Amino acid sequence: METVRNIIDVASMFVIPALIVGFPLYGLFRRVPVYEEFVTGAKEGFSTAVRIIPYLVAILFAIGMFRASGAMDFLIDGLRPIMNAIGMPPELLPMAITRPLTGSGSTAVLLDMIKQHGIDSQVVKMAATLYGSSETTFYVIAVYFGAVNIRKTRHAVPAGLIADIAGAILAVWAVRWLVV
Amino acid sequence: MLNYIWAGLVILSFAFAMAADGRDLLRDKYRNGQALAVTLRLPGDYSQTQPTVNCEVVIRPDVYRGFYGTTISPSQGLPATLSQRGNLRELRFARGVDLPEPLATMRDFVSPSEKELRGRVEMLVVRQGQADAAVVFPPVRFVRLKAITQAAVDFAGTAVTLAIGLVGVLALWMGMVRIAEKAGLIHLVVKAVQPFLRLLFPQVPRDHPALGMIALNLSANMLGLGNAATPLGLKAMEELQKLNPTDDTATDPMVMLLALNTAGVQIVPPAMLVAIMGIQANQLFFPILLVTSCCAVIAVAAARTLGMLPWYAVKPAARPGGDAEKD
Repeated sequence: METVRNIIDVASMFVIPALIVGFPLYGLFRRVPVYEEFVTGAKEGFSTAVRIIPYLVAILFAIGMFRASGAMDFLIDGLRPIMNAIGMPPELLPMAITRPLTGSGSTAVLLDMIKQHGIDSQVVKMAATLYGSSETTFYVIAVYFGAVNIRKTRHAVPAGLIADIAGAILAVWAVRWLVV
Repeated sequence: MLNYIWAGLVILSFAFAMAADGRDLLRDKYRNGQALAVTLRLPGDYSQTQPTVNCEVVIRPDVYRGFYGTTISPSQGLPATLSQRGNLRELRFARGVDLPEPLATMRDFVSPSEKELRGRVEMLVVRQGQADAAVVFPPVRFVRLKAITQAAVDFAGTAVTLAIGLVGVLALWMGMVRIAEKAGLIHLVVKAVQPFLRLLFPQVPRDHPALGMIALNLSANMLGLGNAATPLGLKAMEELQKLNPTDDTATDPMVMLLALNTAGVQIVPPAMLVAIMGIQANQLFFPILLVTSCCAVIAVAAARTLGMLPWYAVKPAARPGGDAEKD
């Protein structure tokens, strides 16, 4: 198992250089004017980034306000009975709630939990598993849909949230089963 | 859905902030206008005419707890400056000194940038080398309301910083992908992955370049290459947008791509987690792999199932000049 991991680790280090060198190399081989095409493509980078701004401002300022309002504390108190009922430690709630909302926020929660419970505690391992196995749902939605000016997101948010909730519950059980 | 979540976040923030501030006002948490009894340790050469005097503030723990109704004890001998002009005296705690709650909150509220808490000295009785004083701090109200206002402004700025920070990697990868497209590489990728990816994205026509971009995006994600994954994902979205009959409404393949990206399928744990957890992250390799794969399956199932619900059906294209902007 350890060797599988090492191979994946090393392979992932080589992917980016391989692509950055491989694409132009293959392009040259196929007689593509690589420099000209690169610049033409790269020109889009700026406009795409700018196109994302309104979507990102909308999502981030709302989430920032929500965090600053202290609503999280109320929410954690309110959801505690449900947590206990499904066998999830209530200490995990701040992570489960912040993870889909903000990347930097959930990093802060993880650091805070390590300070409080110690890096070896089971609840920190659960939080870290949750942190490592999911993405900042709302950020991804803002950026991806923003890039193509999609405002009506249909079922993207519910589908993402269902996966996030499932991830939180699974993280608890995965750590209980797999980590001694 | 996003409309309600977004509006809900903003409105709830205000409601919770007002609730918390109202509670603080009712309990008079900051004891606005009331005087706190402290003892000042004065230097040997103290006289009533010196304009500024460096001193140390000693607050008796039982007095402090009784006054503010907390369980915190202030540390003894907080450095401060006493300014005197006739009968007007002001006590100013040294910048950045470690104040106990709620004084720390009051300081951040009154002078967010200077971090300096000042109080009016109501009464000063000097005895040998020290003085008993009563200090009134400036009134503190609506702390949370101020906090959410500040957060809204700050995060709007953060959003722009984040987006501008993406310019470099976006340009790099969009340039690379352009070369790959022109050289026919994307076409080869499409050929290789389409038997599998067409199961997830049946609405994307055979041999369409979107499938190639999606494959690159997903592989970059799996290998934990966030820097490359986002630009490739955005490129995939652009390709999918070309197939979209509407301008502003998501299609099923887009939601599927988003579901796979928000579930965050990754074989290599994110670099940030390794940085935080160190060696401990090794132990979590398999739990993370298990959870992330299960989440991906659930996300795919959710995207597929919800997409079939009439609630999320694509509404017929709006008439020109019609009420397209209504929701």
